[in-house]
Order: sequence, then C-alpha cells, then structure tokens
Amino acid sequence: MAVQELSLDVALHIKYWHRCLKNVLPTGYTSMDSSRMTLGFFILSALDLLGAGAETFPEDERANIKDWILKCQHPDGGFCGSPNHKYPDAAYVDVGHGKQTMDPANLPATYFAIMGLSFVGSLDGVRRDDCLRWIKGLQREDGSFGEFITQDGVIQGGTDMRISYAAMAIRWILKGDYDSSKEDGADIDVDQLVKYIRSGQTYDGGIGESSRHEAHAGYTYCAIASLKLANRLSKSKDSEPISGLTNVDSTIRWLVSRQTGYTTESDEEEEGDAEHAPAVKLQGIYTEEPAHEDEEFVGFNGRCNKRADTCYAFWVGAAINMLCQEKVELLDIPAIRRFLFEQTQHRIGGFGKCPGDPPDIYHSYLALAALATMKEPDLKPLDAALCVSIQQKEKIEQVRKAALV
Amino acid sequence: MGKYEGDPVWDDVVPIPQDDGEGALAAIAYTDEYAEAMGYLRAVMAAKEYSPRVLDLTEHIISMNAAHYTVWLYRASTLLALNSSIPVELEWVNNVALDNQKNYQIWHHRQILIDHLYDSMSSDPAALKSLAESEVAFMTEMFNEDSKNYHVWSYRQWVVRKLDLFDKGEIECIETLLRQDVRNNSAWSHRFFVVFSNPKYCTPGSKATEYDPKIPGEILDREIEFAKAATFEAPQNQSPWNYLRGVLKKGGRKLSSLECFAGEFVKIPEVGEEDIKSSHALDFLADVWAQKGENEKADKALTLLGDKYDRIRKNYWDWRRTSLK
Ligand SMILES: [Zn+2]
Repeated sequence: MAVQELSLDVALHIKYWHRCLKNVLPTGYTSMDSSRMTLGFFILSALDLLGAGAETFPEDERANIKDWILKCQHPDGGFCGSPNHKYPDAAYVDVGHGKQTMDPANLPATYFAIMGLSFVGSLDGVRRDDCLRWIKGLQREDGSFGEFITQDGVIQGGTDMRISYAAMAIRWILKGDYDSSKEDGADIDVDQLVKYIRSGQTYDGGIGESSRHEAHAGYTYCAIASLKLANRLSKSKDSEPISGLTNVDSTIRWLVSRQTGYTTESDEEEEGDAEHAPAVKLQGIYTEEPAHEDEEFVGFNGRCNKRADTCYAFWVGAAINMLCQEKVELLDIPAIRRFLFEQTQHRIGGFGKCPGDPPDIYHSYLALAALATMKEPDLKPLDAALCVSIQQKEKIEQVRKAALV
Repeated sequence: MGKYEGDPVWDDVVPIPQDDGEGALAAIAYTDEYAEAMGYLRAVMAAKEYSPRVLDLTEHIISMNAAHYTVWLYRASTLLALNSSIPVELEWVNNVALDNQKNYQIWHHRQILIDHLYDSMSSDPAALKSLAESEVAFMTEMFNEDSKNYHVWSYRQWVVRKLDLFDKGEIECIETLLRQDVRNNSAWSHRFFVVFSNPKYCTPGSKATEYDPKIPGEILDREIEFAKAATFEAPQNQSPWNYLRGVLKKGGRKLSSLECFAGEFVKIPEVGEEDIKSSHALDFLADVWAQKGENEKADKALTLLGDKYDRIRKNYWDWRRTSLK
C-alpha cells in the first residue's frame, strides 16, 4: 500500500465525543447503567486529550456536571456507579450502627467519580476522610480489595487487580504516594497490597486474576499501575520496602508477545478456520511456519492466541511504557498506529473493538489513550499510570497540595 | 400504565425513581419498563423486603441490566431468606449465563449457591459427586459457546478447589479441549493450575513462578512430554512453549535440559541458509545459549528473530541483544 502520513482527525473525534456528552446514549447502553460514572470519565478525559476539555464548556455546564457527580456520593464515603444506585438523602436513616447503606458505594465508580470531578471543578466536594476510611475498610487480609461493603461489614465483589488499581489511584489522588500506613491509621496496608500484586504473576510472565489464572493484559496493566502509583514499581536497593514485579524480564516478554500481526486476508481465514479449528491429534506434523513477511498492521490481544482488540493497545502499551519509561521503545509503533487508524477507527469518529465494529465509548477512549501513550502529535501526552493527560495529573497534584496545606 | 403500577401485587410499594438532574453524564435512553422496574427495586431494597415477588423483580432487572452490581447480592439474600430451592435457581442461572457471556456477577452468584448446597451435602459423597458432574457439564456447555471465557475458567478453578477435583478426570477434560484447539491458552493455564496446585503433592502456597521441590519427577516428565507433543503439532503456537518454561521452573530444571528438543525446530548451519520451524524455539534457544555463556550463538538467534522470523517484535529482539554480556 502507498505510504501516507497518518494523522488524527481531531475535529472528527471531538464531534464524536461531543455527541457522547450531549446526546442521550441509545437504549443498548442500559446494561452499562451501573457504570455511568465510568462512561462519564471517559467522555471528559477524551475531550481533555483532544484539547477540548471541560475548561472549554460554559461555566454552568461544568457546575451541573459537578453537582451530578457529587449527588452520587454515598453518605458512608465513596461514590455510587450511577444515580440509579443512589437514594434521596432522607432515605439514609440511622439504623443503630451507622446510616442505612441500602445500595453501597462502589470502588471503581469512586475512582471514576473523583477523576471526573477533577475535570469539572475541584475535589472540595469529596468527603476525603470518609472516602479514605471507607477504602481502608474494603481491603482484605490478603491485601486485595473488594468493590463494596455491605451494611454488615462484609466485603463483596471481585478480588482482581482492577479493584486494587482503583484503590491505589484514589489513594494517590487524595494522599499522594507517600507511605503513611505506619503513622496514619486511616491508610491502607500498602505492603500487603504489594505482596498481593507480586504473587499474581503467572507461569508465562503476565499477571492474571491471581497467579493460578490465565495471564490477562488488563490485569497486568492494573497490577503495574498500582505499583507505580504506590511508588513501588522500581526495585529499591535495600529489601525494604518490597518493590517491583517478581520477574520483570518475563513480564516484558509476555507484554511484547501481545503484539499480533494482522492482515485483512488472514482475518477472513481466521473467522472460518482458526476459531473453530477441526479436531487434531497431538502428533509430529509441522502445520505452520513463522511469518517472514512484514505485517501490514500490528494489533494487540489481551491473552495468548486471542484476536486483536483495540483496547489492548492501551493496556499493553501503557504497561510497557511504565516498565521501560523513556529508555527504550519496544513496540512497533508505526504498525500499531496503522491498525488503529485504518482498521478500528470509525468514519463517524471514535473507535470500535475490532475491525468493522461500530465505535463504543470504552474502546474509543482507550484507543485515544493508547495513541497518547505513544506520543501521538495531536493529543496531549498521557500519564500511563493514571490514564489521564500529564497536564491533568499535574492539576490534580496541585489541588491535593493546596488542600493539604 | 406500567407493569408494576397496574399490578395489585405491588399496590403497597411506592417506587423511588432515579433523580438524574441537569448535569447528567452518560444519560441513557432507558425504556419505560426499565425505569419503572428500577424504581420498584430501589423501594424494596430500602425496605429490606425479602419476598417471592422480589425474586420476580430482580429477575426482571437482571434481564435488562445483568451488570447491576448489587441486585445479584440482593437476590441471593432473598433466596436464602426464603429458603428457596437452590437447584431451581441454578437452572435459571444457567440460562442467564448462556445469554450473558461477558457478565461476571453471575459467577459470583453461582458460587454463593454452590457454597450453600455444599454445606447441606458435605457428608454425602454421592451427592457431592453428582454436583461436581453437573457443574462440569454446565461449564462444558459454556465452553461450547466460548472455550476461552475468562469468567468460566475462573469459576472452574474455584469449583476444582471447592470440590477437590484435582483428579484424572479434570486433566482429561482439558485434553479434550486442547484436542479441539491446541491454541486454547485458557486450557493450558488451567492445566498448569490443576497439575501444580494439587494438594496431594504440591507445597501449599507455592507460587506459579516458584520452584516446588515436592513435585514428583514423573509428573514433570509427563507434563514436558505433553507440551512437546503439542509443539510438534503446531510449532508456532506459543502456549506450549510458555508451558514448558513454566514446568521447568516448577521442577527446578534448567532450560538447557530441552536444548536438543528445541533444536529440532532450528537448524543453523555454519554455511548456507538456516531452517527455522518456530520462532518460539529460536527464542527458547537464545535464552539457553545466553545462560550457557554462548553469547555469539544467542546473538545470532536474536538477530534472526528481529530480521527475519518475528519482525513485528524487532525492537524487542534488538533490545535483548543489547543485554547479552
Ligand atoms: Zn477490548
């Protein structure tokens, strides 16, 4: 194909995200009703990356968004995932051992709500101490975090790295990376969390829901970013405090292996054959050869032998970015850009999950985030750990410092 | 008039509608049906009502929003409070799971149900056996839809540990899946878990990436032979290559113990064209040679990978070359 300069059509993507911001999402999004905070964050942060962030909105629009997010704050600390999980204030009556929880706050939703607030105003509406105390209550003995806590104090929800990541990101926003667990009773147990994350490495070098599960790029990103936000990613000289991944070299090998060559022809083949491969016997016949040709596109999969999917360009690219910093570029960036621009970008703006798919908010945001991690010229540079622009990260740091003075 | 508003069964409930306000982010075009049902759910959750009609209502909500993070828990509490039939619930959950492949709350719900059943039959080996069989049968049905479904595999691990299924049958199930698709990395991962977490011979708490001196040699040999056979079947399939590295680590064996085997796929003559059947074998040998201090050979292997056999990772292979000392 002819070599042509690929560039991001910023105006087209801003248009897509404005539609997401202003229009009511189609009924099909009902199954994401409990994650509206997440969708809201993606919309605000995408516009920020594109240089059309909330500072360009009319003041009353920013104030309304801020009110909407704050209305989802739970009286016991933390935020609910959407107004459908939040009751009128009068409903939270005291039931003898605190206010009635009803539908409790949710940890990932809280991360997205606080990030969302950072775009449209300040964090002064966040009840910081309640929030930190609530997060501490979500940590289990093994160091992992749950998503929410019931009225009876039972920690519920998954145990995986995504939830730990949300906890560490909120802690970073509200407290910074200073380890105050020794002198401050309200902090989480960072040592225990680091141990938990380090024990999540699988035999092939990635990180899974736990070390017994299959390695998965999303969990691998969340584990690395959690360590980064706790300032525990790079190994310290002395053994205290414990830092770093168990085996960085094998994690890097696993991450670069997520790059998968993608040609439009072989894709059609895959639809028919590889996905429903015929029964085979395990015996000594060579059935295929390593590729000699240059691949036109390079996508990423989230697990070994899975198909390329837009979002993994972020989960993998950002994870490698954190592990290697600026030192070395391990990925085939031109081919990845070709995959995103020519295969999953949609003509109405936004990106789909796989080639030919309609755009959705989640993949559209993570595609922009992936491009921003790879220093796409028309996007603000991204902070890989916090998954927002570096400019926004600096803004949050300033807000925190001002609040702590 | 809405489904609930017009139903005398719900006469006594005053729904609590959502208050979205002006600055709503990600507002969704809810159907009237969903909006109404949510209002009633919010009302019964506030009143802590656990009744048969709550089961109907939660079922209705789940059919529209299976990712609601608290409705499942509320349903489980209701079931247990009413002493409802767990097998009937499982039957229903099976259908919901088949319709919602991506949902993970369902699997947590299923764990609660199985935990409860287990407690009621823990002294009855025959009942436990048939429970294990029906769980495995259902997962097979799920794997027929998607044999790499992360949530199902995750649940399967839980079942293996809960019902102590570290036996031959479990390994046979995995082999069946691998015969259908030798590239099914989820099945490979599960095999690693079943073989190297078996409480009968493994060191308790030994990590996946750790040497475990308690693993019997014949088990290591069996696993190595199994993975070798799979690499011959499809040399470019990375799963068994990763598996081999994992097994060697677990067994405290050197990578170089498989140098000859990896060499089957890699012929690099002094003069003339090389013959490479697998980039993963070349990668494996690069590590073997680097460990043995044969840096020139390792460098040649990494160069071949970057220049010829795995060009999309050229930057990585070049970087590996710089770390050879
Ligand atoms: Zn995706």
